[in-house]
Parts: sequence; C-alpha cells; structure tokens
Amino acid sequence: MSDVVTLALRTAPAGALELAAVTPDRLAQLAQREIAALPVRHGGRAAALGDFFVVQGERAARVRLEGDLRLAEGLGAAMTGGELLVEGHAGRDVGVAMAGGTIEVRGDTGDNAGGALPGAARGMVGGEIVIRGNAGDDAGARMRRGLVVVTGNAGQGTGRGMIAGTAVVFGETGSDAGRWTKRGSIVACGPVARPATFRYACTYRPPHVRLLLLYLRERRGLDVADRWITGRYDRYCGDLAELGKGEMLQWAGE
Amino acid sequence: MIINGVTIEDTFAEAFTMRVARIVITGKTARWAREAALKLTGFATSVIGCKCEAGIERELAAPETPDGRPGVSVLFLTMDKESLPQQLIVRLGQTVLTCPTTACFDGLQAAPDRLAVGKALRVFGDGFQGSKVIGGRRYWRVPVMEGEFLIEETFGMQKGVGGGNFLILAEHADAALAAAEAAVLAMTDRPGVILPFPGGVVRSGSKVGSKRYKNMLATTNEAFSPTLRAIAPSALPQGVNSVLEIVLDGTDAPSIEAAMRLGIRAACLGGVRSISAGNYGGKLGPHHFPLRKIMTASAVA
Repeated sequence: MSDVVTLALRTAPAGALELAAVTPDRLAQLAQREIAALPVRHGGRAAALGDFFVVQGERAARVRLEGDLRLAEGLGAAMTGGELLVEGHAGRDVGVAMAGGTIEVRGDTGDNAGGALPGAARGMVGGEIVIRGNAGDDAGARMRRGLVVVTGNAGQGTGRGMIAGTAVVFGETGSDAGRWTKRGSIVACGPVARPATFRYACTYRPPHVRLLLLYLRERRGLDVADRWITGRYDRYCGDLAELGKGEMLQWAGE
Repeated sequence: MIINGVTIEDTFAEAFTMRVARIVITGKTARWAREAALKLTGFATSVIGCKCEAGIERELAAPETPDGRPGVSVLFLTMDKESLPQQLIVRLGQTVLTCPTTACFDGLQAAPDRLAVGKALRVFGDGFQGSKVIGGRRYWRVPVMEGEFLIEETFGMQKGVGGGNFLILAEHADAALAAAEAAVLAMTDRPGVILPFPGGVVRSGSKVGSKRYKNMLATTNEAFSPTLRAIAPSALPQGVNSVLEIVLDGTDAPSIEAAMRLGIRAACLGGVRSISAGNYGGKLGPHHFPLRKIMTASAVA
C-alpha cells in the first residue's frame, strides 16, 4: 500500500483513449500489477492501462496522472470517492456521472466534464471537480448534486439541464448556460451569455457564495480574489421554461 | 488553605451531566453577531425556569469563522437530549433568523450526535428555501426580506457539564460584587466555558424544593442568606454579610476546572472572607470540583 498511485503517460495515444476504469475508489483495491492490467480502449480497440502508463504505487485512493491527456476520455467516470489529480490537460467526460470524491485537473478539459452519460437523466450526483483551466462544452450538464469549478472559461451549455448542484466559472461562461435548469446554481464571476428564460430577481451578497468561495480558497487552494468572495451578485432565476428554481449568480461588482 | 488572606474552604462544587451544542453566529460586523447572540442567550440562566442554559463562550475574529466574518461562539445546554433541539429550533428561529446579516454554523462538527436544527428552520422558507452542500456539509438558504439567511442543516451535540460553581463570602455587598466581577473577568473568553447568569453572577443561590410551598422547585438558600442568620440555621461565618455565586457550564470538566482556578484566584480580594461551593452531598451530580485540590494544582502549575 502506498500514499498515492501515479500514472505517468509513456506512450502518447494516437486516438481517443477511454480511461473510465481509472477511478481512485477502484485503484484503492488493486495491486500495481492489477492496475497496469486494467482494461482501457484505444481508438475503439481493447488495450491495457500499462500499455500507455507507467504505474507507480498501489492500493491508494489518491491517484495522480501525469502527461498530456487531451485524448484521454472519462477520467474518474462514476467514481464514488478518493482523489484524482491530473497534472495537465484532460479530454472529454472527466468525472462524468461521478458520485463522490474530488477531481482536480491542472489544465483544460474537454466537453461534458461532470456531465451525464449518453441518454442518462442525471449527470454527476456528488463530489467535486476543479478545473484549473478552461472547460469545454456542457460542464456540469444534468448534474444532480456536487460542484464543478472552472478557473478559466467554460464553453457552451455549462450546467445545461441541471437538476441541482453548483457550477462556478471564474472566466467567461459560454452561451446556453443553465438552459433547462430545474434547480442548482451557476455562479459566473465573468461575463455570461444568459438565456432569455432567466429572470432578474435582485442584486445582493449571497452568503452561500461567500462560504463556497472561501472554501475553495482555503481548502482547495484556489486563488480566489476577495472581490468575488465579498462582492455583489445579480441573481437571475431560471430556467423559467422549466421548474425555475435554479439560479444564475453573476458577479456585479464589489 | 489561604490565598491572599482568603480562606478556601475544604468543600467541593457538584455538577451535572448535560447536553451541549456550540452555535457559531456570524454577522456583517461583530456588533450584529453579538446582537443575535445576546438575544439567543437571553433568559437562559437556569434549567429550573428557562429549560436551557446558554451563554457567550467567546467572540471570534473573522478568520476563525466559516464565512470569514466576525462571529460569536455560544454554548447551549439542556438536561436531556430531547429538549436541546427543541430549544434550539425555537430560539434560533426567533433570535438569529430574525437578526440582520447573521448566518449560523455548527461549532461541534466532530460530534456524532446530530440535531436537525437548520433542517427544521428551513421551512420558514415556505418552499422557496434551497440547500447547498459545501465541503461535505449541508447548509440551508432561507429567503428573507433582507436577502438570505444561511444556517447549517445539523448541529453537533455532546455531553457537557452544568452547574460548576463557587461562592464568594464577603464582609459586605460591595466587596462580594467587586470579587465576583474580577472573577468573571478572569473567566471570560475561556474556551469550553460559559457563565449563564447575568454578568456571570448569581445572587439568589437556591436549595431544592421548598419548606412551605409545595409547588416550588427551588427556593432561597437560607443557610447562605445573611439576613436570616438569626432565625434559620446558617452556614455563614461571623463577619460575612453578603454572598455571591458564580455558576459555570461547559463542554467538559477540565475546562470548567481551569476556569474555576482562574476565577477563584481573581476573587481573592480584600473584603472577601472565604470561597466556598455548592453541593448536594456528592450524591446527585457525577462531577465534583474540590476547591482546594483545584487551587493546589494552580500552585504546582
């Protein structure tokens, strides 16, 4: 048993590399040899994790991935606990349908981070994803519970169809954010293209945003500026074409 | 044992096991956190009449609180498990929820016994309330006219200690009051301890029941009432004309003992004849605080 399992990329994938089997809760049960033998799919063909990664450590719920993983898909998919740290960019479907634990990506992610599997009613149902970079489209789409944080910009459809939970974007939030949201919060510190089905409610200092951003600064080590923690936010309720109990909180100044 | 000319009597304080919660109230300013805490802890001196005992443990600087605002830590005690959530729901709902700018957090996060206080108060939101899970803890957002009231869903409950005490036997009322004030000052801001009575001081120490009125749960303690020395059995030495009591509640016995040590030492002023303590013969309360042993530990320290 070790403190951390490190997976260092040694062979760059030529096509999409599906890594849905790589979750901390699963690796916590496995010896080094078993981890290297975990099935992955590369370009649609079966392969083993060890074909692409050098595995160090075993039986640990803390997993660190190293290398350019822009073609790696489904990192931390459906994970239920533990910590997953990606030292670099990651591909699509990071933390898709995850239920618990934390994922931190020190780079950009592809589409559908914390989102739902194709055809599924729910995206992530728990846990936290912190993307220290830009996120693709549909981050936090259909999430039921949990937290997705993007320190850079987020693409289109952030929090699309959210059932509950929280998405925080410090940079720019693309169009169609929060479309079809039932409940849940989208906190936009930067500009956001808001659907017309969100209606302005008030400008105030939301106490839960303060608590959340302080948590991100102090416990997750994010560089969150005071102006966002103590600032005023415009509250828009929506999506009024749906249940309408969701909200978009757009930073409005100090 | 004599400290600064004051006799420490060879007796002990007898205290009871209670249930305690720690409530952290924050506000835009320390003033508003304090306003809420003062209302919350008002009329909470003794379980005999108030059904709970509460007091301000200490003020918290902004970096010490969950939301980074100035706050106040309150300890809240009842005799049994059932009445603690009942009292908290009623009192927090009327005092903290109503107070501008405040938010309310659990101060006993490690306690496994959880009281669904915020969960009960959320219904003030009449269906418009919402919750957030932050750092694994659930908070309720209750919409109010000012904006939003934020309260943690559950509060921890643990065993605490209620009824630690000592008595200041003085030559005159002014000396007793001065000694009591000094003792309270020395015990203020002690972690894990509150002094639930007005200004931390009790002038009406009581005995259990009544000799005359069958419905009375507690009546005056004539043995310590100087005006009755001539007509009732008295526990007061000659020359003692006024007695004040300090009552301490807390999260644990060592915290109370440490505070008593500071308080008794501070109370040993001119005009004070002796320091005593209230007990029931040692048969009722599981926690005993022998005064001389406490003060001897002080000398060693």
